[in-house]
Amino acid sequence: MPSLSKRRFVQLAGLSIANRILPGWLRAQEPQRSANKVIIVTFGGGVRYSETFAPEGLHNIPRLVAMRPDGHFFNSCVNSGVLSHFNSTASILTGNWQRVDDFGFQPPAGPTLFEHFRKQTGAGPLDAWAVATNKSFASMGCGSDRAFGQPYGANVVLPKQLLLEAVQEVVKKGTAGGVADREDVLRRLEGVLSEGYEGIGWTIFQAGRKLDRQVRETLLRGLVEYINGPEAPTSGDELTFFITREIMREFAPRLILVNFWDMDVAHWGSYSLYLNAITRTDRLTGMLWEEIQANANYRGKTTMLVLPELGRDGDQNTANGFLNHRSGDPSCRNMWLLAMGAAVPRGQTDRTVHHVDVAATAAELLGVKAPGMAGTPMRELLL
Amino acid sequence: MPDTPQVSPALKTLLDKGLLDRLPLSFSAFCFDQMKDWDLLFPAERGYYERLFGMLDRSSPQAVEQLFRPLRDVERQMGVNEKTFPKGQFSLKQVDFLNRNPHYPEWRAAVAQAFAKLDPALDSEIARAGHARLVIVAAPAQLPADPSRMWTRLQGRGKRLAIEVPERAEDFLPLLLTGEPQGRATPTIAQLFAAGKKGGAYTSWIVEAGAGISGLGAAGPPVVKYSYAALEPYRKRLMGEVRSVVEAQEVPGPRQLSARLKQMKILASEGDVAKDPILAEFARAILLSGNGTLLINNTFVEWATVQAVRRARPSVALVGFGIRNKVKPFSSLLIYADQETTSPIPSQMDTLGSYVDLEMFYQYVWQEFEKYAEYRTNTAYLFAGDGMEEMLAVAPADFPLMAASGPLKLPAVFQHLKEWLGV
Repeated sequence: MPSLSKRRFVQLAGLSIANRILPGWLRAQEPQRSANKVIIVTFGGGVRYSETFAPEGLHNIPRLVAMRPDGHFFNSCVNSGVLSHFNSTASILTGNWQRVDDFGFQPPAGPTLFEHFRKQTGAGPLDAWAVATNKSFASMGCGSDRAFGQPYGANVVLPKQLLLEAVQEVVKKGTAGGVADREDVLRRLEGVLSEGYEGIGWTIFQAGRKLDRQVRETLLRGLVEYINGPEAPTSGDELTFFITREIMREFAPRLILVNFWDMDVAHWGSYSLYLNAITRTDRLTGMLWEEIQANANYRGKTTMLVLPELGRDGDQNTANGFLNHRSGDPSCRNMWLLAMGAAVPRGQTDRTVHHVDVAATAAELLGVKAPGMAGTPMRELLL
Repeated sequence: MPDTPQVSPALKTLLDKGLLDRLPLSFSAFCFDQMKDWDLLFPAERGYYERLFGMLDRSSPQAVEQLFRPLRDVERQMGVNEKTFPKGQFSLKQVDFLNRNPHYPEWRAAVAQAFAKLDPALDSEIARAGHARLVIVAAPAQLPADPSRMWTRLQGRGKRLAIEVPERAEDFLPLLLTGEPQGRATPTIAQLFAAGKKGGAYTSWIVEAGAGISGLGAAGPPVVKYSYAALEPYRKRLMGEVRSVVEAQEVPGPRQLSARLKQMKILASEGDVAKDPILAEFARAILLSGNGTLLINNTFVEWATVQAVRRARPSVALVGFGIRNKVKPFSSLLIYADQETTSPIPSQMDTLGSYVDLEMFYQYVWQEFEKYAEYRTNTAYLFAGDGMEEMLAVAPADFPLMAASGPLKLPAVFQHLKEWLGV
């Protein structure tokens, strides 16, 4: 359990008391927008409407289906940009359609939501995080605009890369148990954390070359839980979830991007593995929502925005159906968005919104002005 | 400026006349790039380019200009010029340029619009020379599904045929494909076609996960054979080489990796296809540019079949799927590692997962054939499960089995197939 500082305790207690004694009209103004938290979840790796919120796909996403009545569902969220993971996610984060290198060799063009948020609010470096399964997301924490940049960026953690380092070490050493030996993998993971993270592409702005002890211990807790979990750990997204949860418990950042990516296993050409990944991401998203509700630092003041960053090619008339996501057909572009949160009005919107609207909406929720975004706030969430 | 590709004399005459220069830059660059390795193209691909450019040459300049005007307009907006699209270059750099351009959707629409006008004319030439074709897709015996749960995505497109299953399970595919039980060196339906008057090189194909179908038949007419199992030495070497390139960080990005992968050709000791440069290059391309083809047997089978259809237009195709293994812990992290050695956990078959995978692939394979004029209206598709008492036939009304009734013996099915193909 993370320790609860006296100051934090007093803050929490104060809120709790205020809820009980203040008149309703005053309470209605709380929480202040400036205290809001936003978690953006890319339900990702590429997933089609037909395997999610289309009638024939609902059985793949039982958790999201159960959450939907308590949230606000946007029937049509369109990705009009470049259909690569990096550009699509960068478009979500910057509010502008991104056309940079598909593999993350360039940072997003213009400032990200992280930078707007930190620069305007003075939020510290532990208040904005990106936890990503996709290895090319190392440069997702800040954009190329020199007026912003690293001093205002997010910490970027790539848990799967950490795991990859450890697993490769185990394989190279040729130990008897191979990668099935969880203890050996865990020892290697600890080793990588101790030796430094730069080789695995992370950006931790606060810590410099070596991982800050607190950060290291936080990440390690997530790893231990993952390695010793009830199921054989096969999924990068599970690790992303555990790390995210530890970061939430330890640092309670106000702005987080959680990038799930397991579904991109579809490139392997196994429809069943793709479906399994969808159901796993559904479960992890549900667990994240549970954590938000259970965690006093998040409960009642957090908006979670869940959307696929892109779809996949349709079964008809395309290069090779679900395996790819570049054809640009409607199956690649037409997505959905589910907003959850105490202040989120329940309901459904049929008008089309776009991926670039996410950053504009999140900025409003965080009480931040973000000029220069092509996207516009989703007014349905800002009542 | 690059040299004119070493194409056929007829096509060279057209290119020397400057035909490519009259076309939009992105279109001509793509065609030029495709024709660059002329000697590695299948006859069907060469024929396509000859027909395409022949037709454009016969068309009036005004008609060609009108055909491509929308594409030229989009290219102008995109900034396509001699600098971004140097003549004859269509590498990942150009693909990136198109993908990342705000006008990419319009570009795709303009290309589709041009082909929507070109294809009917090209297709009519093909249709005039049409002949009966046959595709047999075999599912493995271990699938945990009865016939009523098979081929569900093709339901309603064909006729289910009752089959009399042979006493010996191992005779099922030999009886279907040769008319004889296992162990007789009689030719397969694919060999019979290849030896016939419409046959020849590259007309009959076997693509399979195992090696059972490839092992059937007599010595004789050449049938193109790609077996995931038989290609194991090549696959393992490729995985090792890719892993070492990636781990050593010898290449800075995907473009350089792509160039490096092009050099990883199959060795003579790694498979018979190494003897034929066209087939050797096809094997390399399938394994290194087809997503999970190195990793999953059925992905290999599906992608190799789809590519064979696109490129070689086989007249007879025998497609044999298999059962893929369950994913071991950390497999997704060790894409290019040998799964057998990285974990002591024994490999286990994923029969249910394979069933789900294949239900999708039957559809993909069928619809890929049907995209092309060569196959529409004259191709019989037979979906069979090894040892299963039912098959699905999707075929024109005059395919003999569409009128058959009662449980059919497999040798009788074979006779009907011969009759259909006229062999």
